[in-house]
Amino acid sequence: MKIVSLTISTIDRITDMTGRMVSWLTLVMVLVTMVTVVLRYYFESGSIALQESITYLHGLVFMLGIAFTLQRGGHVRVDIFYRGFSPSGKALVDLIGGLLFLLPVSLLIFFFSWDYVAASWAIGETSEERSGIAAIYLLKTLLLLMPATLLLQGVAEILKNALVLMGKPVNTPLQVEPHPIEPRI
Amino acid sequence: MVEFIPLLMFLVVCLVLMAGYPVALSLSGTALLFALVGFATGTFDMAFLHALPNRLFGTIKNTTLIAVPLFVFMGVMLEKSRLAEDLLESMADLLKGFRSGLGLSVVLVGTLLAASTGIVGATVVTMGLMSLPTMLKRGYSSSQATGIICATGTLGQIIPPSIALVLLGDILSSAYQQAQLSMGVFTPKVVSIGDLFVGAIIPGLILVMLYCLYVILFVRPEAPAEGDDERRVQGLSRAMLNLLPPIFLIVAVLGSILSGAATPTEAAGVGAFGSTLLALFKRQLSLGRLREVAQSTTEVTSMVFLILIGAAVFSLVFRGFGGEELVEQFLTGLPGGLVGATILVMLVIFLLGFVLDFIEITFVVVPIVGPVLLAMGLDPVWLGIMIAINLQTSFLTPPFGFALFYLRGVAPASVETADMYRGVIPFIVIQLFLMLMLSVWPALATWLPGLIYN
Repeated sequence: MKIVSLTISTIDRITDMTGRMVSWLTLVMVLVTMVTVVLRYYFESGSIALQESITYLHGLVFMLGIAFTLQRGGHVRVDIFYRGFSPSGKALVDLIGGLLFLLPVSLLIFFFSWDYVAASWAIGETSEERSGIAAIYLLKTLLLLMPATLLLQGVAEILKNALVLMGKPVNTPLQVEPHPIEPRI
Repeated sequence: MVEFIPLLMFLVVCLVLMAGYPVALSLSGTALLFALVGFATGTFDMAFLHALPNRLFGTIKNTTLIAVPLFVFMGVMLEKSRLAEDLLESMADLLKGFRSGLGLSVVLVGTLLAASTGIVGATVVTMGLMSLPTMLKRGYSSSQATGIICATGTLGQIIPPSIALVLLGDILSSAYQQAQLSMGVFTPKVVSIGDLFVGAIIPGLILVMLYCLYVILFVRPEAPAEGDDERRVQGLSRAMLNLLPPIFLIVAVLGSILSGAATPTEAAGVGAFGSTLLALFKRQLSLGRLREVAQSTTEVTSMVFLILIGAAVFSLVFRGFGGEELVEQFLTGLPGGLVGATILVMLVIFLLGFVLDFIEITFVVVPIVGPVLLAMGLDPVWLGIMIAINLQTSFLTPPFGFALFYLRGVAPASVETADMYRGVIPFIVIQLFLMLMLSVWPALATWLPGLIYN
């Protein structure tokens, strides 16, 4: 039992830390975009590498933020019925969904992306632009990191839900406040 | 039998979604299970899934979609810096003389908020918390008050710069390319997010005008609007001070896109920066709040993109089972040709809007039906605007409309749910009327983009 709760809290910590770090990159994105705009319209110059860096930041934010968002319950649900379920009903849905959907989908993306990413590393793939960032292979690696982090957090969520169903909910050190409203667009 | 597997897959996904597991994973997970069964029975070729990494990387590399986190950042920043509260107070003071002044100011502030944040849930909840109690106190019936708030809150879908239109524009532009290639046009015309923004301006303004007209003509608070207010009226200059910055921000963002000076992504970045400055000047910016904004932005962005990823898996499997041909044969074979197909698609989207969000419908349904309808001769801008208004109507319609759920969550218990249902009916009628107008005069959506971009 102790192992289980240790596993959960370790994964939760990793995900939380990653999420908090990439969150700040949204602010960096705003600033870098602003700088490229200013450079282009007021100084009529620009740097392709700087523009490409926004793509890298964006990729990091949303690919590594996916597990963080899962942890915080931010992935949108059709909650017409779910909303009314008891805590154990919700845990059951999340447990089955985790085993049946989350794990297979993460594995699918990971293994189907493996060769694609490996091929890029093998040739040290660079940007199509001459003065761009010479690290497309790093960007492509996100295709492996995203499913890996999602899988990891998915395992933690599955364990949490199983414990709820067994009547032994865990107290993780990171109690995240539930969303007051879902951030629907 | 095998050719109906895509249909079965679609129905099973709809059922699975009802259980409430996150949409993106339900979509892709169900599709994957179908693919595995198909693989085992020899009806599905796994090679279709080998396109997945390239598609996902295409999403990462897509520079237009970078506008999403930037617009979300702008919206969350404006929302968290108490902009809405100040706006509503100022607007209500400006319109104090009118009999329906408060109702009118709720519509106008809602429009501004919708335009600047573009987040429906947030707008409805904010307006519900701020203005519903005041409206009830000033003698508005609960059905009138809730109707106004719900309807205005959903304007964020259609009034540019709207995140929904960014996503729709991106999907429609590739659907348009695909449609033209299938017709043998090898120098295809393009449709951009800018086109959709411009196309949405006239229909959006008509909608707001019709809302205002309705409020002026039909909404009568029972108590007099003046006299009973204990709050000191702000001066005109103070009110202007609150109103101008957000208006300036919206005009700057929209203007720079429309004039062609900036791409939507650049404009979104400038808007996000501007909203941060605005929060700073209002002394609403602290490190803690900045962290909140950054984390909310990350969550919303990841949520959107996971749906995009899930929808990519779903659509590859759907295609592998021959779903695209099935839809095409069905739509082109309908009696009534293009008109029949369009009406059917709109009806399906309306019904899907009860359970699915704008994002899911944009990523799952539009790529499937879009190329067919466009190849049959529809204008892409018109189609985009119609889908946006259609979904907005769907979100308002009882008993499943999202806007109603959001407002129910923050409305006092004295407001009956049945009152809310009654209150939105006039607005649904207005929406349907606008869609009818757009069908009769497509130029309402297509004239302005043609004028600006040609």
